[in-house]
Amino acid sequence: MKRLALLCALMLSLPAVTGCWDRREVNDIAIVIAMGIDKEANGQYRLSVQVPLVSSLGGPGGGGGGTSGDKSYYVDSAVGPTIRDANNKIQSRMSRHLFYAHHRIVIIGEQLAKEGFSKPLDTISRFPENRLTAYIVMTKGRAVSLLQAQPQFERFSGEAIRELVKAETIPVTIKDISQMLNAPGIDAYLPIFEAVDSHPKGKSKEIETKGIGFFRGDKLAGTYNREQMQGLRWFQNTFAPFPALLTIDGGQRFSVYFQHGKADIKPSFKKGSVHFDIRVYTTAGIVENMSSLDLTDQKVNARIESKLAKDITSSIRTVIDQSKKLRSDTIGLGIVLARNYPVVWKSKYRDRWNEELPRITYTIESKVQVTTVGQTTTNITKEDP
Amino acid sequence: MKFPKEEKNRTQELIDTIDACSLTELEGIPLFPQLEDNVILLKHLFSDCSDFVIREFKQKNDVHAIAVFVDGLIDTKQVNEALKVLMLLEEGSDDIEVIEEALLPVSQIARVDDYKKLLQAVLGGDTGILVDGNIQALTLGIRGAEKRSVNEPEGEAVVRGPREGFIENIRTNTSMLRRKLKTPRLKMKSLVVGRETNTNIIVAFLEGIADPQIVDEVSRRIGNIDIDAVLESGYVEELIQDNMYSPFPQVKYSERPDTVASALLEGRVAIFVDGTPMVLIVPVTFWMMLQANEDYYERFQMATLVRWLRYLFVFISLLTPAVYVAITTFHPQMLPTTLLMSVAAARESIPFPAIVEALLMEVAFEALREAGIRLPKTVGQAVSILGALVVGQAAVQAGIVSAPMVIVVSITGIASFTIPHFNAAIALRMLRFPIMIAASVLGIYGIMVMLLIIVGHMANLRSFGVPYLSPLAPLSVGDLKDVLLRAPWSELEKRPSFLGIQNARRMDASFAEGLQHGGGQEGIKSNSHSNGEGSS
Repeated sequence: MKRLALLCALMLSLPAVTGCWDRREVNDIAIVIAMGIDKEANGQYRLSVQVPLVSSLGGPGGGGGGTSGDKSYYVDSAVGPTIRDANNKIQSRMSRHLFYAHHRIVIIGEQLAKEGFSKPLDTISRFPENRLTAYIVMTKGRAVSLLQAQPQFERFSGEAIRELVKAETIPVTIKDISQMLNAPGIDAYLPIFEAVDSHPKGKSKEIETKGIGFFRGDKLAGTYNREQMQGLRWFQNTFAPFPALLTIDGGQRFSVYFQHGKADIKPSFKKGSVHFDIRVYTTAGIVENMSSLDLTDQKVNARIESKLAKDITSSIRTVIDQSKKLRSDTIGLGIVLARNYPVVWKSKYRDRWNEELPRITYTIESKVQVTTVGQTTTNITKEDP
Repeated sequence: MKFPKEEKNRTQELIDTIDACSLTELEGIPLFPQLEDNVILLKHLFSDCSDFVIREFKQKNDVHAIAVFVDGLIDTKQVNEALKVLMLLEEGSDDIEVIEEALLPVSQIARVDDYKKLLQAVLGGDTGILVDGNIQALTLGIRGAEKRSVNEPEGEAVVRGPREGFIENIRTNTSMLRRKLKTPRLKMKSLVVGRETNTNIIVAFLEGIADPQIVDEVSRRIGNIDIDAVLESGYVEELIQDNMYSPFPQVKYSERPDTVASALLEGRVAIFVDGTPMVLIVPVTFWMMLQANEDYYERFQMATLVRWLRYLFVFISLLTPAVYVAITTFHPQMLPTTLLMSVAAARESIPFPAIVEALLMEVAFEALREAGIRLPKTVGQAVSILGALVVGQAAVQAGIVSAPMVIVVSITGIASFTIPHFNAAIALRMLRFPIMIAASVLGIYGIMVMLLIIVGHMANLRSFGVPYLSPLAPLSVGDLKDVLLRAPWSELEKRPSFLGIQNARRMDASFAEGLQHGGGQEGIKSNSHSNGEGSS
C-alpha cells in the first residue's frame, strides 16, 4: 500500500516539476517550410522565411489568428551579418517560435551564388532543427521574390519548388551540396528556378525550372539552359527519364522520351594528359511523330537511333567543353579518376584538378535503342501506304 | 419424561453459549441423541427464519423424527415422496443406518454427525432427516431451487463455437464442464468459503496433467480465506492473487465451459464459485489475456493474423494518446510536414495544451463507456448518441478540442475493445494515463521510461509461481508457437511446458508427425479423377 501511495504521489507531482521547460505546442511554432538567402549590397546576408498561416489552411471553424489578405502563407526577411542574426531579427517581430525542422527548400539568391554561398550553409548543417534532406536551389534575382510567388496549384511556392525539383530537374539536397563542395573531383551545381507569369497572365506567379547553374568552388561559374542541362543527366546515380526533341533529315520532327540511361566513364592516361572514354547506353520511346516517315521501316529506325546518339554525344560534349573552359567539373570526372587510379589521383591531381581540367581529352560513344514506337506506325492523319 | 434433567440443562447451557452464531462456530458440535434437544437448538438458531421448516412427524413405530429444509430450495414433490416412505412404512426403524440403507429410496443421501455439516447441507438445499435416538442425521440431496436457464454468454460472444455459458448454479456449471471432459482425471475438490454465505467453491483440474504443486497452492490459498461473504468469484480472485497492487489481472475469468475445459487441458486449474457464472482460471500469463477461445476454432492462418492485430492494438490502446501528446508538444519534427500543418491548423483555435485536451477527451470517453455499461439498454443508446454528437461533433466545432484528438481517442477506444478480456483491457486503459502524463513532461523519453517500468513490473509479476510473461520471458521457444502465432494443431502437439505439465503430449507423436510431413491427411487422391474418366 505504501509503495502504491508513493507511486501515486510521484506521478501526481510530475506535472508540477519543471520538466516541461522545452514544451512547445504546435500553435506556438511558426513552421518554416522554405527559406531564402540573399547577399545584400553591403555584404550582409538577408534571410527570408516562408511560414504557412495554419489558421487559414482550413482548420475547423471558430476564431483563429487574424490573417491579412487571402494568402495562406507569410514571408518575412531580415538582414544580418550572419544567418542566425538575421533569424533573431525576424524572431524579434514574430509572435511564434521559428521552427526550422520542416524546411524543405533552401533558395540561394543570384548575388550570393556569384559571391560564394558556402558560408551561410554552415548554420543549416550545424543547427539541429535543420535537416540535410532539404533541397537546395538557386534563382535568378533575389531569393525572397521567389518565396513571394504564389503558384496556382500549391499553397506555397516552397511546396511547388519541391515538387518541381523532384520531377523536372536534377535534385540536389543539402547533403549532396555539402559533399560536392567538400570533395575534390566534383564541383557543385544547383537547379535554377524562377517565378514567371502564366500565359495567359493570371493572378498567380508560377515557378519554372530554368536549367542548372554550375559552380567553381562555391562561386557561380556559368549556367546551362534546360536543353544544355540534358548532357548532365546521363551521369546521375539514378537516371530520371526525360523528354527530348529529335529532328532528322532536316525538318522531320519526333518527340522522344529517354526511359533508361547509363553512362560508363573509363579514365586512362594518354600523352601525359588524362583521357576519358565515355560510353552512354540508353533506350528511348517515340511519343510523337510529326514526320511522314514510317517507323516500321528498319532504315528509318536506324536513322533515328543514330541521330539520337549524335544528339546525346553533342549534349555531353557541350557540358564537358564548358567544364574545361570554366574549370568546373560538374560531372565529377575527377571522382571517376580517383576511383580508378587512387594513387595517381592523390599524388598528382587531387589538389590541382581544376587547373588540370582544360587539358583533359575525351571520346564519347552513345548507343540508343528505340524500344517503343507507339501503337500506330505513321502519323494517323497520313494515308496508309 | 424420557430425557434426564441434567441433560436438559446441558442443552440449555449450550444454547446460551451459541447465541446467533455462524456455521463456522458450530463446527464440532455433535447432534444430540434426543430429538427434542435438537429441535430446541434448531428452533433457537433459526428463530425468525420464516423460510426454515422443521417438520415433525412420527414413524409407524412411534419413533419421532423431523425433516428440516429451507422452503424454496427443495423439490417439494420428491421430498414428499421420501417422507411418505418414512411415515407410512409398516415397520419403521429407529436406526439411521437402516433407514439410509434399506428404507429411503433417494439417490443422493449422506450421513452427517455434526451441526455444521448438517446445516451447511440444509442451507444449501438438502433436506435433513433427524430420527430420535440417533447421533447422526441424513441429508437428502433433493434440490429444486429456481435457476436461470443456460444461455449464450454475453460477455464472451463468438462467431464460431459453442453457445452455452455457465449460470449461477455451481452444480449445473460443473456438469457442463464434466460434459466436456468425460474422464476420471477431471477432479473437483469441494471447499466452502464465507462465514455467512457458506459459498461452495470447487477447484477443478485434470489429475496427471496439472502441476500438483499448483493445485495444492490453489487449495491452500482458498482454504485460508476467512471472510464473511463471497458473492462473486471476484472476491476469491482478489484474495488469492499474487500481487494485489498490480494493475494486471493475475487470474483469468470465463463464463464459457469450452474455455475452462481447454485451460484445464493446458494444465491450469479452474475455480468454480457458487452463485456466479464467472469461473476463475489460474495460473495465467499476459498472452492468455490476448487470446480468445475462437482462435482455436478458426483456421490457424486467420487466427494468427487476428492475434497479431491484437498485439498491435495493445500498443495502440496503450500509447496513441501519449505519442500524440509527446510528438505535438516536443517532437513536431517527427511528423510529415503536411500532417504537421493539418494538426497545427486543427489545433490553432484550441485553448488547451495537448495534454489537457487529451486527458479531457480520455476521461470523457471513459465516462461514456462506463455510463453505457450501467444503463439499461434502451437508455444506453441515448448515451452513445450524446457521446457522438456532444463530445465528437460539438466539442470540435466549438473549438474546445481538436479533430485529431477526437480521432486519437476513438482509435484508442476501438483498440482497447479488441482485447478479448475485459480486465486486461481495463489494465491497459488505466496505464494509459500515467504514460500520457509522462509524455507531456518528458516527451518520447517519458513514454519509453514508463514502458520500461511497465515491462519491468510485468517481468516481475507471477501468477501462482508462473512468470507473467512466459513463455517469452523466461524464454521457452517451443511454446512461442501458441503465442506469437497460432500454429496449426498438428504443430501444437505438446501442452505448454512452462506450467509444470506432467503429461506433455496432446497427441500421439506418430499422428502429429504424419500430419506435419504430409501437410494434412492423405485422401483418396485418384477418386475424382477416375470418376471423370469413367463418365467421359
